[in-house]
Amino acid sequence: MRYLLASAIIVVIIAGVPTLPAQSLAAGSGTTGAPAPLMVRHIIGLENISSQKSGTLTVQNGAMQFSGGKSVAKVPATAIDAIFVGTETTQAGGKVARVVKTASMAAPYESGKVFSLLMRTKVDILTISYRDTGGALHAAIFALPIGQATDMRTQLVAAGAHEGGAQELKERAQP
Amino acid sequence: MKPRRALKIFGVLAVLVSPLAMGQTGATSQTGSQVKPQKLSASAIQIEPIEVGDISIPAEFRYAIYERLIERVRKDGTFQKVFRSGDHDAANVADLVTLRTTVGKFKEGSQLRRELTTVSGGTTVDVTTTVAARDGHVLLESDLSGKVRFFGENLGVTNDLAKRIAKLLQQRF
Repeated sequence: MRYLLASAIIVVIIAGVPTLPAQSLAAGSGTTGAPAPLMVRHIIGLENISSQKSGTLTVQNGAMQFSGGKSVAKVPATAIDAIFVGTETTQAGGKVARVVKTASMAAPYESGKVFSLLMRTKVDILTISYRDTGGALHAAIFALPIGQATDMRTQLVAAGAHEGGAQELKERAQP
Repeated sequence: MKPRRALKIFGVLAVLVSPLAMGQTGATSQTGSQVKPQKLSASAIQIEPIEVGDISIPAEFRYAIYERLIERVRKDGTFQKVFRSGDHDAANVADLVTLRTTVGKFKEGSQLRRELTTVSGGTTVDVTTTVAARDGHVLLESDLSGKVRFFGENLGVTNDLAKRIAKLLQQRF
């Protein structure tokens, strides 16, 4: 009876996973003419923006802008001296999914591990390095929906950013 | 007869054991001196980007180590000022030390494998950390490694490594 109840809870949670916030954010490409703001996760690097903060990443008026709620960070495109694009397989569903997964560890016969299998998602990792007015080196790293980082790089380069990491990208693409 | 025999045995034992005991105390004091090295002093530190040499490590890991190091060292408060690489203001600080980190080995694991097996799929990064004075004299050199063994994404290794480097700095400064 207890196992039946636990299994039922797991099934309900699995059914609910696709509706979790981070999942719905991942599909950020719009179908209208104007480019839709790209939903990203800030991993580290921007001043006054906390790690793992979700927000929108746009390129406007010659600057890359991250907006996460009330906090906004801007980096002039001309200050960017390198852009790198990578990929990473990570957990989908954001914080909610993390809590659910931790709770599912108590499920019998290690059945909670099924979450690890189901809640996988591939993301693009966009890394930019830039220098502030004092010459100090900064880096900002974002997780983007898969396939979006290259577009963002193109937009940044068009706005005046330097694509310093191109050679490394070619090297990494080779097997 | 019997007490005399017991006395002999005791004497032999005492002769055998005493050098061992002395050696022990000697070793302990030696180890003690290794555990507590002389404290270094500096009011400011400049953190340089991660050097990789010919080791293949994705850019996001390199830059994440750099950013997390700055974040950690600032948070710990070991130094009054923490400068980023290239910061012009660092030129005016007399007792500035420079932190350089060189990657020796990098192994990217898999978060999924870690969570399913709990024994494989770990991500590790081994580095050599060097702190040098303004004149280039090396004040501190240490090999450290960061790991992600169970939970969290691969980039978590950068957090672990930064924590270890910041702890080392806290112990020596």
